[in-house]
Amino acid sequence: MSDWITITIDGKEIKAKKGELLTAAAKRGGIEIPVFCSHPKLDPLGACRMCLVEAETRRGKALITACTTPVNDGAVYYYNSERARDARQGTLELILINHPLDCPICDKGGECPLQDQTLEHGPGHSHFWEEKTHKTKHYPLSDLIMLDQERCIVCWRCIRYLQEWEDKPQLGLFHRGGETVIDKFPAGKFDAATSGSVIDICPVGALTNRLSRFSYRPWELDKTDSICTHCGQGCNLRIDSRSHRVRRNVARENPAVNDEWICDKGRFATGFSYHPERLQQPLARMNGKLEPVSWQEAIQQIVAGLQNVSKEHGPEAVGALGSAKLSNEANYLLGKFMRGMVGSNNVDYREGSAVLADPRGLPALGDVHDADLIVLMGADPSEEMPVLANFIKRAAKRRGVKLIIVHPRRIELSRYPGIHLAPMPGQEVDLFDALTRASLQAGGEAIPGWLPAEDGAWNTEDVRAAGQWLAQAQKPFIVYGADYAWGFGARDIVTALSNWAVAAGHDDRLGFLHAQANAQGAGDVGLLPNQLPGRRPLSDDEARSAIEALWQTRLPRQPGLGYGGMMAAAASGHLKAMIIMGADPVGEKPSDAAALDKLEFLVVQDLFLTETAIRADVVLPAASYVESEGSFTNTERRLQRAPRAVKPMAKSVPDWAILMHLAQAYWGELPASWQTLTIAAVFAEITRAVPQYAGMSWENMGAEGRQWQRSALEVGRELRSHDPGFDPTDRKYPFHLIIGNQLWDQGTTFAATTEMAHLGVMAARLHPSDAVRLQVTAGDRIRMHSGTGEITAPVVLDDSISPNSVFVPFSFLQAPVGELFDRFGQRTAVAISKVSN
Amino acid sequence: MSGLKDIVDGTREIALAMGVTLKTLITEAPVTVEYPDEPMAIYPRFRGRHELRRYENGMERCIGCCLCEAACPTGAIYVEAEENDPAKPLSPGERHARIYEINLLRCIFCGDCEKACPTEAIVLGHIIDLADYDRHDFLLDKQALLNPPTPNTIIRPDA
Repeated sequence: MSDWITITIDGKEIKAKKGELLTAAAKRGGIEIPVFCSHPKLDPLGACRMCLVEAETRRGKALITACTTPVNDGAVYYYNSERARDARQGTLELILINHPLDCPICDKGGECPLQDQTLEHGPGHSHFWEEKTHKTKHYPLSDLIMLDQERCIVCWRCIRYLQEWEDKPQLGLFHRGGETVIDKFPAGKFDAATSGSVIDICPVGALTNRLSRFSYRPWELDKTDSICTHCGQGCNLRIDSRSHRVRRNVARENPAVNDEWICDKGRFATGFSYHPERLQQPLARMNGKLEPVSWQEAIQQIVAGLQNVSKEHGPEAVGALGSAKLSNEANYLLGKFMRGMVGSNNVDYREGSAVLADPRGLPALGDVHDADLIVLMGADPSEEMPVLANFIKRAAKRRGVKLIIVHPRRIELSRYPGIHLAPMPGQEVDLFDALTRASLQAGGEAIPGWLPAEDGAWNTEDVRAAGQWLAQAQKPFIVYGADYAWGFGARDIVTALSNWAVAAGHDDRLGFLHAQANAQGAGDVGLLPNQLPGRRPLSDDEARSAIEALWQTRLPRQPGLGYGGMMAAAASGHLKAMIIMGADPVGEKPSDAAALDKLEFLVVQDLFLTETAIRADVVLPAASYVESEGSFTNTERRLQRAPRAVKPMAKSVPDWAILMHLAQAYWGELPASWQTLTIAAVFAEITRAVPQYAGMSWENMGAEGRQWQRSALEVGRELRSHDPGFDPTDRKYPFHLIIGNQLWDQGTTFAATTEMAHLGVMAARLHPSDAVRLQVTAGDRIRMHSGTGEITAPVVLDDSISPNSVFVPFSFLQAPVGELFDRFGQRTAVAISKVSN
Repeated sequence: MSGLKDIVDGTREIALAMGVTLKTLITEAPVTVEYPDEPMAIYPRFRGRHELRRYENGMERCIGCCLCEAACPTGAIYVEAEENDPAKPLSPGERHARIYEINLLRCIFCGDCEKACPTEAIVLGHIIDLADYDRHDFLLDKQALLNPPTPNTIIRPDA
């Protein structure tokens, strides 16, 4: 225990950690020293002087700032001495000279540190009667954040947050003395992806949430500890609601997942839960039109429709799509209904069987904090997981960790020291082979004969260095994303990049970054055409009999169709009925509408009347995740609860409850194996069906979630040969199509927050040199066609795009990129022509 | 013969008492009020139905701070605030009440809302005839509260 020392505060001995700050040590000893500028997650500054205490020094007692003073063994401090109290009172009085009396209309009022500390430490009166200085009030810093310069007490927390975590210094201090104001830089933007964090840490009401402005007072909110479902990180947040309407989200601390930050999508995009266009009641098709019906009627129609198809064409003519945005319980019950009751293995979700993800996801998000090398392959955390991106930035900036980025675009993180390799589609395999060779050479290991010769295009200094870095790294953080795990050629790319990790001796550290909230969990609970719950293959007889015993039914043996397979079978007329839960295949690929129109019977349950839903025979209104309970498994296999925060809108019902009703009607009565009538009971059953979840329960997931053990699932990795890459471009289709996620997109749940709709620039992005060649300028519209389909979109010139390629984001309403590839392949090439107006 | 004496004494007492009645009937004005035909005298600090006051220039005093709601011991008040349209502000400053509802069935007329109000917007006025035929009519919305028959009365200058 040599790290522990003893200090004395007000005559009381306190154990403190060597070198920790006096504020932290005092807190452990039960003395809460008031602070404004100091924040546990930000570097000490000592700007506000609120934390003044007296210290014994060689020159007698002196006032020091506790928030910047590391404690020494035997040091003596006085917190409660008259001089220290006077000093703090004086500081507070000075802070309050120009602080306006806005408390009744200020959104911070009621949870404001300045209010609380004035009550506890303030003088209770002021010597100042002069007019307060006037600065800009009601100053929108961005579309999301409102600044009130009069309320600011110049603590620098926002400035430091943007510097230290976001590494985007977009706010600064201007003028001097009493005139000091916080502002953007001239002509500067305030657009950091986690900019909303400054609202949480502002100790006064200077920075406030513009979207939830004046819509709540802190004391009247119902606070629900929940999580965010906008991406796979699963950041912890608190949903604050009032009269059953979500008012705002604030970050909740979970050191293992999101520290205490959330991104602006998670914070502000709450509109989907109260959007007026939400489905209010079940709809059923009568005389060709969707008409409102009662729940009983809707369920009866579904049962009749499914049973007809199943009787006439066999159960394998029925298919179901779940969603990686929905809870484990909803996806599990959909799988159970399809397999156990209908008798079909046709179950999948968009990120399911088609994506060659590591079945164990990411080793741990927290690994990034002590990684000595960060490798990103086909993943762009700045757009997909802004909070993780901040952790990576911090590692690069503070600890000098190098980044190896393999990505066809120059993504934001490539501005940090390291190596950026930009293979075009088709070249990835060669690149990873070269990296594998470099790592094997660096480790002095034998080169297998099937590795292609050394003198390829990738025989460069960068590749050799990258291979060497990874081979020499002790604790690298290695991830690959869906860009490399989906579609044509993905199998070879994933094999090749796994080979690199194996060659460098880090195959246990290679992980997959799921971009969707529950892409990991939906697979874990068995919503895959070829796997049973627990990621066990259909052919596993032991697993099959365990599940059959649990569900008290027989399971079909024939592997089912995946997402693309179901769409193809629908188009060819082999699939006759579908249940689509929380997915919108037509929105992603409008030409699939024809396939769905061929179905005899289509059920859609969703929040909105999507392009898919308008083609359905029965549409069921589902409750959003804030209105229903559910557990989600994030990309690091952490199961987290999302309890109900508000009542379901109108007649909507949680997805898992819909499936219970459906099962009851389908079977005539609810069978004994379905008597799981609460979310905790459904979850308890899941823990019996999924071996990795054993030992968990709704209660013991706790506020911070529980990870399932990575060792519970073996994935044997070894060096394996693979097919060479394939360049999809040719003379007819000369441009590579690069697809990726964009943070500000037009996805259903995000677009429902209309205040944020214009944040993202939705456009096809071209390198300026290509634009010259194609004679297009920014703002022109281009047509991209691939032989499979075509889309048109406005152009933005962007030199982070490699020449000879065009970037099109997912969830782009005008230009659904799904049109450009067939149902099984993503990597494709396009021809581009200008659209004349 | 005590029975006869009782009758005589009793008659005299009644005559004396009726004399007082007769005298008062002639010499003094009635104390009772013919309510509702005649108005009731109300003490200045009487707490009747709520009113939302305005400033002299017509601006609403209420800024939607919800402090009345927080102070209300029975949860009779519901407020939703909103940002003022700078072109057409309803109240001075940035904020006004979009919804302001008082449930008279819950209200116990304690006056805590008045005390909590930082702008003296909500006051308990002198309207006392609160009976009604429909339960829904006891839910007063902002329009009902803002337009009392005698607006802008300073009811308690000492408060």
